[in-house]
Amino acid sequence: MLVLIIGDLHIPYREAGIAMKFKSLLMPGKIQHVLCTGNLCSRETFDYLKSLATDVHVVKGDFDDNISYPEQKVVSVGNFRIGLLHGHQLVPWGDHESLSLVQRQLDVDILVSGHTHKLEAFENEGKFYLNPGSATGAYSPLDSAVIPSFVVMDIQQNLATAYTYRLVNDDVKVEKVEYRRA
Amino acid sequence: MTTQGEPGSSLEDQEKLLDDAVRRVKRNAFDMKRCLDQSQVMDGVNHAGTMLDEMRTSLLSPKSYYMLYMNVSDELMHLSQFLVDEYGKGNRMPDLYELVQYCGNIVPRLYLLVTVGTAYIKVREGSRKNILRDLVEMCRGVQHPLRGLFLRNYLLQCTRLALPDTGQDKEQYGDGGVEDSIEFIHLNFGEMNKLWVRMQYQGHSREKEKREKERLELRVLVGTNLVRLSDLQGIDAECYKKQVLPGILDQVIQCRDPISQEYLLECVISVFPDEFHLQTLESILRTCQKLHERVAIRKIVVSLLERLIKFSENPDSGGIPSDILIFNIFSVEVSELIQNHKSVATVDGLAMLSSVLNLALTVYPKEISYVDQLLSFCLKCVESVPEADINNITLKELLKLLKVPIDAYNHVLTIIKLETYAPLMARLGYQHRKDLSVYLCQNLIDTGIEIPTPQEAEEFLGLIESLIKKQSDEPTGEIDPEDFSEEQNLVGQVVHRLVSPVNDQQYHVLTTAKKYFTEGGEERLRYTLPPLVFAAMKLVRRYYADKDADDKWEKKLQHIFQFISQIIHSISSAGLSELSLRLFIQAALSADRVHVETIAYEFVSQAFMIYEEEISDSKAQMSAITLLVGMLEQMGSLGEENHETLRSKCAVTSNKLLRKSNQCRAVALCSNLFWSGRIAESNAHLRDGQRVVECLRKALKIANQCMEAAAQVQLFIEVLNYYLYYYEKECESVTIQILEQLIRKINDSLPHLGANEEAEQIHKHFQLTIQHVVHRQKLSEGSTGGPNYAKLKII
Repeated sequence: MLVLIIGDLHIPYREAGIAMKFKSLLMPGKIQHVLCTGNLCSRETFDYLKSLATDVHVVKGDFDDNISYPEQKVVSVGNFRIGLLHGHQLVPWGDHESLSLVQRQLDVDILVSGHTHKLEAFENEGKFYLNPGSATGAYSPLDSAVIPSFVVMDIQQNLATAYTYRLVNDDVKVEKVEYRRA
Repeated sequence: MTTQGEPGSSLEDQEKLLDDAVRRVKRNAFDMKRCLDQSQVMDGVNHAGTMLDEMRTSLLSPKSYYMLYMNVSDELMHLSQFLVDEYGKGNRMPDLYELVQYCGNIVPRLYLLVTVGTAYIKVREGSRKNILRDLVEMCRGVQHPLRGLFLRNYLLQCTRLALPDTGQDKEQYGDGGVEDSIEFIHLNFGEMNKLWVRMQYQGHSREKEKREKERLELRVLVGTNLVRLSDLQGIDAECYKKQVLPGILDQVIQCRDPISQEYLLECVISVFPDEFHLQTLESILRTCQKLHERVAIRKIVVSLLERLIKFSENPDSGGIPSDILIFNIFSVEVSELIQNHKSVATVDGLAMLSSVLNLALTVYPKEISYVDQLLSFCLKCVESVPEADINNITLKELLKLLKVPIDAYNHVLTIIKLETYAPLMARLGYQHRKDLSVYLCQNLIDTGIEIPTPQEAEEFLGLIESLIKKQSDEPTGEIDPEDFSEEQNLVGQVVHRLVSPVNDQQYHVLTTAKKYFTEGGEERLRYTLPPLVFAAMKLVRRYYADKDADDKWEKKLQHIFQFISQIIHSISSAGLSELSLRLFIQAALSADRVHVETIAYEFVSQAFMIYEEEISDSKAQMSAITLLVGMLEQMGSLGEENHETLRSKCAVTSNKLLRKSNQCRAVALCSNLFWSGRIAESNAHLRDGQRVVECLRKALKIANQCMEAAAQVQLFIEVLNYYLYYYEKECESVTIQILEQLIRKINDSLPHLGANEEAEQIHKHFQLTIQHVVHRQKLSEGSTGGPNYAKLKII
């Protein structure tokens, strides 16, 4: 089962759109679920995600004015409980220990968050943490070298394989991180 | 359906008439074949003549007559084959050609003559050249349109493989050359066309439509002549130009029949090769000038252009020869047509010019002047018509035409260079102008092209003005809010394509955009201005990165921050307080990262001002204060004095939140400011453990005031997690006693929760928290240093 994890697109506030090289990778029909960390910033961006898969979950980013997006959400995919939140609500932003506070509160195997525009995939105390970064490489005042990125996670029984996609100098770089649920 | 009137006019009648006729044909054909089998040639020919009497009928509709013809011509094949075979056996029949001429009726006589004549050609009995001329002349004897057309079609069918052509061996095929074939087909073609045209003038005038339909069904018969010509190998471009085409065009012009003219020209264009057309463009286009008013000239010209565009795109074709000035020819001739031909309406003119434009862009992609030339001619055409006479269909055609260069160039900077583009675009109505603007924006986004100078930015934004500000011709009434926001988001995307590689120029590009967007009214600025704020922040970063090369960088940064501040104030004045608060937070961080403390501080205070004056909803307040605390925690440019003011401000503001749960969480959040908050002087984290604990203690106190049991325990657990967080970060003010006390408190409260989903979640949260502590304890068993919870007893 393939889950697209994507967020912080900031279209049109910070960027004009997703790079063609990424768009051509994201073809409709291959992905079953989309988990979006928020900051879509427009209805069209949501429609785009909806065109990739019917099951789309979005949480509210600090620049989303869509009131129907929740602040946080737990989604079950296969054997995994996945927590989803944008991440601007946690202080310090992107701090690993702060994230584990939320992981305990939501009781999830995988916690997905965004906001920092920095791709991360790591395991901590038996739990898995994912930050898909910004799919458009959107401007962030905190980081002068944002690299466009997203994650596709393949879920098979108790194994989650995260494929991280980064656009470095117009080349797509893919890496793999595995997480086995205890 | 009525059966009165002419016999055979109803569908049933037609079927019956055809059935009877076919039955008679079969019977006679049977007799014919029986005689031929017994080598009774003359009897066989006589039966064939009787069979052919059926072709004299006037009762059948063209469709039924065609079915009859198919049957008859099938049977005649037997006769023809018999004659060829007999000759092979040595039985020459030199007088047969004479004998069949005694057949009483002209229709059967001529069918027989054609059959025998073409058999003669195959066996080389007599001169091929003479027989062909003889046959085509004799067929004049049938002047009834339907019967004549089919007879001549039979002639074409029988001579298909017998026409003289170059490269043929005269011994094997007979005499004559390709010029004889041309003459033969020209003559046959001319006669058939005349017959076909004459059909139009038969019968009642009230049946005109029916007749036109019937004529269209028969057009292929006439077109076959042209196909035959195109099959002749001996015709080269020169011969086509000098002999073949003039003969056809003369006929086309002379017949003065719109159906015939339109069909024949389309036929010429489709059956002859492109290399021939390239040599004869002027004759074809000038013929168009002389066509009947009812001919769709536009269709003919466009199909010719489309063929040539495909030809020039085909890599195997070798392209358009450079000595053929195809653009000049078309632009001159098409202009002539538009100006002089009565039937060419403005819409047709535009459609043709659209195709010429396509051709120019395909064949001469670098010649911008060609495109400009065409566009100004379009403008002239449109201007020559009174505005009231320009209908929606015409404007749609103009819209289509204006999209052609966008697709071809895929480069909006080239579109901007076209002088007549903007004035021509201005002739479109509001909706079409907007559609084209959207198209332009989408192209800019998709191609990734950047607009580098203020002038070009100005021109581009001018082109898409219908999206940017209210138009004088805009219809009043409801605007679809979804369409509107989609369009405006597109304009927002465009901002990120306004990028100059030169910093100072980029600043001017952005001020130009601001000038345009501020004219857009409040309903637009929520979409267009935020992108401008971020574009300006990107420029801040660029100036800062290049600061060593620019000694005025500080001054310039100030200008940009002023620019940013003005824009956010405009957004705020439009009542978008939450958005402007968030933008001020981003601006503060942007200023913080380039170490301009006063500006950063100013932006933060603007954010607080909006918070205090505009944000009253408790959920919005909580979300704003969360962001403010998160922001301040990240900042590093503030000196102790400013930082102290702001962190106290955060704490005080948190304490004032309406709902206890929000108050508790916000106050706990503020603890971060005293721990990982940084001040400029030392560039170090504050690490003020005492103040951290004070915050958490206060948070607990607030939680104690919370009336709702489940919510209260939830808050206790959250605060416990904060304590653990700081304990693990080696904050010495967090003692084991504090932790044990709080754990005990939670353990005491939990049993009162009852059993429901929420309570279950709280239990789970606490359980996981304790598991975490136990996990840490196990990890550090044996070691003494560090935050290892060694002495913590969990009861």
